Amino acid sequence: MTDTHCPYCSLQCGMRLTGRRAPEVGEWPEFPVNRGALCRKGWSAAGLYGGRERLTTPLVRDRATGELSPVTWDEALDLVAGRLAALRAERGPDSVAVFGGGGLTNEKAYQLGKLARVALGTSQIDYNGRWCMSSAASAGTRAFGIDRGLPFPLADVEQADVVVLVGSNLAETMPPAARHLDALRARGGKVVVVDPRRTPTANRADVVVQPVPGSDLALALGVLHLLVAGGKVDEEYVAARTTGWDEVRESVAGWWPERVERVTGVPADEVRSLADLLGGAATVMVLTARGAEQHSTGSDTVLAWINVALALGMPGTPGAGYGCLTGQGNGQGGREHGQKADQLPGYRMIDDPAARAHVAGVWGVDPDSLPGKGRSAYELLDALGQPDGPSALLVLGSNIVVSAPRATHVRQRLESLDLLVVADMVLSETAALADVVLPVTQWAEETGTMTNLEGRVILRQRAITPPAGVRSDLDVIAGLASRLGSPVEFATDPETVFEELGRASAGGKADYAGITYDRIRAEHGVFWPCPGPEHPGTPRMFLDSFAHPDGRARFHVVDHRGPAEVPCDDYPVHLTTGRVLAQYQSGAQTRRVRDLPDTGPFVELHPMLAGRIGATDGEPVTVATRRGTMTAPARVVATIRPDTVFVPFHWVGANRLTNDALDPASRMPEFKVCAAAVSA
Amino acid sequence: MSERLVVVGGGMAAVRLVEVLGARGYDGAVTVLADEDHAPYNRILLSAVLEGTHGPDALTLRSEQWFADRGVGLRLGARVLEVDREAGEVMLVDGERIGWDRLVLATGSIPTLPPVRGLVRLDGSLHPKVHAFRSLADCRRLDDAVTPGQRAVVVGGGLLGLQVARALTVRGVATEVVEGAPHLLASQLGPAGGRVLARDLRRLGTEVYTGARAVRMTDAGLRLDTGYELSADLVVLTAGGRPSTALARRAGLMVRRGVVVDGSLRSVTDDRVHAIGDCAEHRNRTTGFVPPAWEQAGVLAGVLTGEDAAYDGSRSVARLRATGLDVAVLGDPEHAVGEVVEMTNPIAGSHRTLVVHGGRIVAAALVGDLSRVGLITQLYDRGTVLGPDEPGQLLLGEPAEAPVRLPDDAEVCACAGVSAGAVRACSSFASCREDTRATTGCGGCESVVRRLLGEDLAVPVG
Repeated sequence: MTDTHCPYCSLQCGMRLTGRRAPEVGEWPEFPVNRGALCRKGWSAAGLYGGRERLTTPLVRDRATGELSPVTWDEALDLVAGRLAALRAERGPDSVAVFGGGGLTNEKAYQLGKLARVALGTSQIDYNGRWCMSSAASAGTRAFGIDRGLPFPLADVEQADVVVLVGSNLAETMPPAARHLDALRARGGKVVVVDPRRTPTANRADVVVQPVPGSDLALALGVLHLLVAGGKVDEEYVAARTTGWDEVRESVAGWWPERVERVTGVPADEVRSLADLLGGAATVMVLTARGAEQHSTGSDTVLAWINVALALGMPGTPGAGYGCLTGQGNGQGGREHGQKADQLPGYRMIDDPAARAHVAGVWGVDPDSLPGKGRSAYELLDALGQPDGPSALLVLGSNIVVSAPRATHVRQRLESLDLLVVADMVLSETAALADVVLPVTQWAEETGTMTNLEGRVILRQRAITPPAGVRSDLDVIAGLASRLGSPVEFATDPETVFEELGRASAGGKADYAGITYDRIRAEHGVFWPCPGPEHPGTPRMFLDSFAHPDGRARFHVVDHRGPAEVPCDDYPVHLTTGRVLAQYQSGAQTRRVRDLPDTGPFVELHPMLAGRIGATDGEPVTVATRRGTMTAPARVVATIRPDTVFVPFHWVGANRLTNDALDPASRMPEFKVCAAAVSA
Repeated sequence: MSERLVVVGGGMAAVRLVEVLGARGYDGAVTVLADEDHAPYNRILLSAVLEGTHGPDALTLRSEQWFADRGVGLRLGARVLEVDREAGEVMLVDGERIGWDRLVLATGSIPTLPPVRGLVRLDGSLHPKVHAFRSLADCRRLDDAVTPGQRAVVVGGGLLGLQVARALTVRGVATEVVEGAPHLLASQLGPAGGRVLARDLRRLGTEVYTGARAVRMTDAGLRLDTGYELSADLVVLTAGGRPSTALARRAGLMVRRGVVVDGSLRSVTDDRVHAIGDCAEHRNRTTGFVPPAWEQAGVLAGVLTGEDAAYDGSRSVARLRATGLDVAVLGDPEHAVGEVVEMTNPIAGSHRTLVVHGGRIVAAALVGDLSRVGLITQLYDRGTVLGPDEPGQLLLGEPAEAPVRLPDDAEVCACAGVSAGAVRACSSFASCREDTRATTGCGGCESVVRRLLGEDLAVPVG
């Protein structure tokens, strides 16, 4: 019997596995985040190992025939290392790029960053977490001086009087989390959901607001306007704990409810009711997710909602505050330990000389040998195969072809590479394009830490024996590093890597120095920062001060800009994208689990719009944008705005449509809104 | 030397112009001459201050400090007496002359005084009971004068008049509205809409006299041309305004109703002079709303920073901001060309009109029911081409859903993928949980599962 965690989302539900070869999932009722609850993805997680599609040998493509043929591990790694070394010699270290994932363990993320900076010497590393919560990360850092998705345990949700979910459909994306909302409501608290769709999460809310996609920022400005007008601002808190309020207060004087109505499509009276609810509550918690964040204005949108929380005096108040509901399994830890283009382990910035010196010291290399800042995820992919861009890419833990915006273009960029190497457990759509495919272990076959959406570092423990022929990502990284002549060792034992990660993160914002595998087991996880073995960890942040040097949180003036692409005569509706309960991310795993229904993509639209274009429920409709088209069955539902269509992104198609306009601060693509045409 | 830009006026158009110029990196020296003494504020919320929903501080758009931080000269209480185009100067009432290379007139509008005898006394001041309602100073003066139990008459049944009337009523003042036209909001609504609105107002305790003109202030109050005499402690004039064009006219700029400008918001007389907001006339139209003024300010900022920007008119949405009165007017429903889709429900007190041309909503009036205002406004602003049934559907409410017995194939528990039939096949809640894993995820289906299994004692089995 092994206590471990679900392979999927950032909730990282605790579960108990039994059985050596085919694990069986059982409840782990003591783990506080989910208290034994699991959704069908968790219950069926062992189905990952049932399929025949599992890769068990490295594959190399013959470019002449296009065929993939099995080779030995040595052949594969020699080939990859040889090609990378040759490219580096010919075109410089930045000709080789690395792409990671928010599902990789902390140990893998850390080693991948080290591989790039030490063994490859490239600045060109980023990861798909850029497409997850990066806008919230950017906003949180600017407002609070640090980015930890939830600065409090998730169960604190139950203590708030009002919880506002902006762009979160957690009842479908992380179902067990919805139990905390129900507990809150049973206590008499209220739940507000802001979403252009009336989702299952909205169905269990007290107040539902359905703004036009891309206008959440304006809604926040309108709420803040009314809080100011009604004298509901916590002036004492604002004076004692924040800076920048005066300019923000003035900046919302022009956002009266009727103007907000015109921009957001939310009736002015609903804006007033929302502000009254928030202004009258003793404790308010604002939680954002991808709906608010995946926009070219995503980080400003989050800042606008943080402004609301700060004006109400909430962040740093028990049972209240602001938080981001991170999406990917290790969305939090994955952004802390060096697979992001601008960061080194411990959430250190790569352009900070002190940070470079510290990390180089742990690694045993010269600080000056570390490369600088590289391109962000989409910019990196966009540069592949271009004259000044990388010509080789190493991908771990990401199915780019499905998950990148403007996917047809991204696929062309991947196809233009001299060398594409993908490590995965199955032949994902991206692996299917690769020159070299490396079969790796996954989840219950290996041990490693994850950091969940609360900043709680948890341990996934190996429960079963991996099939013969597969290796862990850590082995792959170490094998490449030594073949590339790395000046330093790369450990392959996860616990050893974690200890090194602890030293590298020591003194950084995300300080793991005091965390050990034994403590994680004994304490149901440990919250960072945890700078030493005696330190209890930090479940709740900001109680006394924020992480800026002056200890204060910062208000930021932000204004509504709207989406990069607005409807026009040719593309008259908004397109938004998202998830369904039974699938996860690009579906590389969940689409292969037999117990999960693989419905394929669909196009959700309102009966009025269906009537306009002559669409029938279940019959195919075509969605077109300036970047691509897709055809899928219509789902006609009255729960979506009539001016908006929704497509889930777990299958190839949705991201052929999405817009690659980027947020200037977070470099987040605008997955959540673009202009589209629908036809039957 | 960098360009000297002088903005005459410190209202909402002027502030927006300065904001956008700053954002676009305009490198001239900007001076704003504001004739009021208060830092620029959001004028359209004055009635909300009177009503008490907004504190007066919440109206400040930009503080004096904000202008100072950006190197913009803000002169409060600076009234311009003359524009000297030849010298490139403006002269203030105190004789000070300020030079400009480029001039922007953002002088707004001034209230029209209705022809009522006794409004103005021999010394030119207003009768002490009489109040205008255009500026923050007007608002404060009226606010100070209000005492619950008083009687007030609001002259003018337009948007502002109705907002002020509602505010006074909320403040405990017995308020009556006098409107010369045959119905309220005559420039925006037809008679049916106006009637619904008048009935709403009466229901809220405000008497309405339409088709009646005030003719004389008396000691007791206000006499109407119908012979009525309305006793009043307060008389508030909201009978519209006209573009403030005296300066432009005296400076020899072409003025019709407003200062005539082209698509670059440039005076057709002098290309160094621009006009934006209520005082400007573009394609024979003056507006009186903030959104067009802001659009003009944005375009002008583009023009002044060398961008190829042009103003092409605005779509207007007029919203009544008053507690308990629901009115939205999109475009000009009384004059727009198109087919009219209309729905009146006198029982519920609603009247809604869509004017549709080529499938697009080109104008609309919504009175008493704003449940779809957000969507209708989006469709109007976007010019979305609708299907033939949609205008009607927009005016109908969402149909109430009848409770139905869940069919066996209906999914009850999404987390575990369990159908109603699978639940019904279980012998108890406990065994259902164990066998199907229903209720073990988000927990949202627990009450339905218990009901299907007859274990929900609180609610009869459906």
